[in-house]
Amino acid sequence: MKMAHKKALSRMIAAAALAGASTCAVAADTIKIALAGPVTGPVAQYGDMQFIGAKMAIEQINQAGGVNGAQLEGVVFDDACDPKQAVAVANRIVNEGISFVVGHLCSSSTQPASDIYEEEGILMITAASTSPDITDRGYQMVFRTIGLDSLQGPTAGNFIVEQIKPQKVAVIHDKQQYGEGIATAVRDVLLANDVEVPVFEGITAGDKDFSALIAKLRQAGVDFVYYGGYHPELGLILRQAGEQGLDVRFMGPEGVGNTDISAIAGESSEGLLVTLPKAFDQDPKNAHLVEAFKAKNEDPSGPFVFPAYAAVQVIADGIKIADSTDTEAVAEALRSNSFETPTGTLSFDEKGDLKNFNFVVYEWHADASKTALTE
Amino acid sequence: MAMPESLYYLIQQLLNGLTVGSTYALIAIGYTMVYGIIGMINFAHGEVYMIGSYIAFIVIAALAMFGIESVPVMIVAAFAISMMVTSAYGYSIERVAYRPLRGGNRLIPLISAIGMSIFLQNLVRIAQGSRDIAMPTMISGGIDIGPQDGFHATLSYMQMIIFAVTLITMTLLTLFISRSRMGRACRACAEDLKMTNLLGINTNAVIALTFVIGAALAAVAGVLLGMYYGVINPYIGFMAGLKAFTAAVLGGIGSIPGAVLGGLLLGVTEAITAGYFSTEYKDVVAFGLLILILLFRPSGILGRPEVEKV
Amino acid sequence: MIRSNLKPAVISAVVVAILTGLLLGVRLDQQGTTLGLVGAGPDVYWKIAAAATFLFFFNLFRDQLGALWKGLPGLPKAPAKLTSLGDKPALRRLFWCFMIAAAILWPFLSNRGGTDLGTLVLIYVMLGLGLNIVVGLAGLLDLGYVGFYAVGAYGYALMAMYFDVGFWTGLIIAGCLAALFGFLLGFPVLRLRGDYLAIVTLGFGEIIRILLNNMTWLTNGPNGIGGIPKPTLFGLEFSRRASEGMQTFHEFVGISYNSEHRVIFLYLLALLLVLITLFVINRLLRMPIGRAWEALREDEIACRALGINPTAVKLGAFTIGASFAGFAGCFFAARQGFISPESFTFIESAIILAIVVLGGMGSQIGVILAAIIMTILPEMAREFDEYRMLLFGLMMVLMMIWRPQGLLPMSRPHMELRT
Repeated sequence: MKMAHKKALSRMIAAAALAGASTCAVAADTIKIALAGPVTGPVAQYGDMQFIGAKMAIEQINQAGGVNGAQLEGVVFDDACDPKQAVAVANRIVNEGISFVVGHLCSSSTQPASDIYEEEGILMITAASTSPDITDRGYQMVFRTIGLDSLQGPTAGNFIVEQIKPQKVAVIHDKQQYGEGIATAVRDVLLANDVEVPVFEGITAGDKDFSALIAKLRQAGVDFVYYGGYHPELGLILRQAGEQGLDVRFMGPEGVGNTDISAIAGESSEGLLVTLPKAFDQDPKNAHLVEAFKAKNEDPSGPFVFPAYAAVQVIADGIKIADSTDTEAVAEALRSNSFETPTGTLSFDEKGDLKNFNFVVYEWHADASKTALTE
Repeated sequence: MAMPESLYYLIQQLLNGLTVGSTYALIAIGYTMVYGIIGMINFAHGEVYMIGSYIAFIVIAALAMFGIESVPVMIVAAFAISMMVTSAYGYSIERVAYRPLRGGNRLIPLISAIGMSIFLQNLVRIAQGSRDIAMPTMISGGIDIGPQDGFHATLSYMQMIIFAVTLITMTLLTLFISRSRMGRACRACAEDLKMTNLLGINTNAVIALTFVIGAALAAVAGVLLGMYYGVINPYIGFMAGLKAFTAAVLGGIGSIPGAVLGGLLLGVTEAITAGYFSTEYKDVVAFGLLILILLFRPSGILGRPEVEKV
Repeated sequence: MIRSNLKPAVISAVVVAILTGLLLGVRLDQQGTTLGLVGAGPDVYWKIAAAATFLFFFNLFRDQLGALWKGLPGLPKAPAKLTSLGDKPALRRLFWCFMIAAAILWPFLSNRGGTDLGTLVLIYVMLGLGLNIVVGLAGLLDLGYVGFYAVGAYGYALMAMYFDVGFWTGLIIAGCLAALFGFLLGFPVLRLRGDYLAIVTLGFGEIIRILLNNMTWLTNGPNGIGGIPKPTLFGLEFSRRASEGMQTFHEFVGISYNSEHRVIFLYLLALLLVLITLFVINRLLRMPIGRAWEALREDEIACRALGINPTAVKLGAFTIGASFAGFAGCFFAARQGFISPESFTFIESAIILAIVVLGGMGSQIGVILAAIIMTILPEMAREFDEYRMLLFGLMMVLMMIWRPQGLLPMSRPHMELRT
């Protein structure tokens, strides 16, 4: 124990000397974790999900005695989901000598920032970026506690082919990394199974009028629509489809699984299919956590709350197992162990992705409740 | 005789385009009036439209809370209060961000307006949150055109209301400009601000009035679109403003019929592109059309070619 | 006197109440699927009341306040002093030397975060200087400048992805490509008048962004392009391990690897590019074409009468301005290592334009100062978090009212006869 501690210390000193910055060494009694994501900007509400989950984990771990006698401290960094600011944030994190990052949120921010973390030996776990590209570059320091677009697509595609058996499917996406990635994956599955895809099109995120698109879908005679993107646009598409008499079933990824979609689309959201990670806040064994969130007047139902919680916990457990805050040792511990978290038993593969992350197909109802259709 | 389905499809897309175009036109008039009189682009105009939408939602939600569920009452109240509030905004924007800058380099008010636009957007974001706010459909239903079994065009009542309100507003505005005393003063200002002032007309009041009318029209668009789409957020103003500005320039900035024509043309172009080509390229085609038209008519479709004077 | 001010005072108070009462006083509240309203809380009401009262009394006593204001000693006129630097070449040179020295020393005095921020500032300085040619000197309102910036960034990224082009070659290609785009766009549109030109360039910027987003087969669409190579110093790489056939900087110099070297190198590289930009623009300003730009901005008809071809001169400004955006874009791509179309939205154009105008159109030292302010200020105001953009917008408005000519208005290079 003592030996290991000394070793870690000497390593840290070496790291500090290497980095050349004087403020680099981490104080022995606190371990700082950078929480990077949008505090401002249009997707700030998703950033909030990540922050409340991570902060709750930090609070609870500290209450339970911290990590190896040290307390965790969360430091929030705002990247506004802007790639340019994400790089600046990453450099500031390096500057402040923080070795662990939970973030970023948007894949386009995570990607350039992770280049810097990898270089600097900072361990990063994203709880929200689902682009396959992020872990596809052979990096050692990059992990994630959420599923990939490339995983979610096939789940949805196979469900459509096996359960719905439609003739003609339209695949629509919002031309953003997340939406287009999933939509492309779904289309590929459909085409491989000889399902006709007469319409594969992008819309502009933030648009309000989809009447031209809906008329097109009506004319093409599609009997099923898959949408890759977020809830504001799909909500409007559903609403306008209902008004224009396009009476087909829609399906979307977890980005549309938000109570707001029922507020926007009203009755039209009844019967919408959504692939979601298991609803962690519905899991009975997380009941006490949900209570803790509710006690702080926070909403635990967002898709990134629990993955962010798990990310912090995995870091803490990794440090315990490695018995050191040396990130290489922690990364090694992460790869070779499995972790009990509120999102299930997590273990990471070589790339840093979760080995098993299941998406469940839900049926959405007009009152924003949902029922699971698959296990 | 049965018409082919493709014709109904075309009719549907034209109707869709005209609906969107009408609202572009309503917002574009605000740009064009201000430009016509003081030659400045009021970049914050899109935000006024957004504020109009928010006020409409607040009014409707408030009425619903007091148990007033009658749709006509709600709509009339939303129009009245929303127009009143945005008029105040139009007036204040002119006082704060334009009047002190009048007469200088024309880039200065443009920057000031961009700043104002950022300010208003964030003001609403802080006060109302950045989440989408949705409202249930208030007026549903419509009429079908064409065969019931095949593809048929639908025209919703809400779309009809949009057409009707746009038409009425345009007529009233045209009458106001051409017949009323104040309208004549507006035209005089557009012709020559300094000369009009010398002739004893309070040009400051005329300019303020222009901003107020423009803002009230933006509120009309805000209420209509708020009800039509049922969803608002603090960011809707920017894109709507950009499109309306494009429409105004397309039709010839400074000309009110031009703004209407530009708005409708832009809306129809977008719908046709989305309907026959690809939704992804509708903005590219819209801006491409603008560039093309300006190449052949450098002052827009109905704009007066500027005579350069020494 | 007060009585005559009573009416405007009451009106202003009422207007404030109308402006804020509904929009700030109540809050739309979406609970599940139902829409409700909640009050914003007493502190907001107090603020509204305070604002209305303040404006009421301000307008009521505005004449007295005005007199009081006049009685106060005038604001120190530091900027005026700075502009007079132009009159004394020696002082001016000294000032520039000092500036450059400070800029070179900055990364060694600051930490990594500070250096990186400095790099960001320098990118904006480059963009500001480039746009300054078009807007400040030639008087052409360009709202789509970010389009050329995107062309430069993507030019380098694509070249690197498909043809393995290095940074330095990429820099030249990106600059030329952006210049070509500027030329091709400028050719048809430059006969348009000011505001029409503004919207056409704005549309052009949007078209470029949308095309980059849509042409997935070429640009990877919204996924962006990653793994863009970092700049090298005469073939020396700034990385822990050298890639094949290359050598790293730390091995060559014989020091241990430190990742901060690269951050500093990037900063110095940006500084070098800015200095080259400054030098080129200063030479151009003294050349006939530079004089023609300004002459054209002041009076186009007079220029025609003097035999200057306006289209050619404008085209020159447009092309040269675009090429600087191309350089900046290439450098941006190299610094980021990853680019996607979302970095090139209209708001970026607006910020660059704001830098030019804030600094004082045509003034280079002003552009530098404004770029620093516009980049640092949001960072400083991060504590205000949600109020940051609000203050940013407010500042733009107030700046334009307070100093419409910019922080440091341009001083023309000229010589005076000594008497």
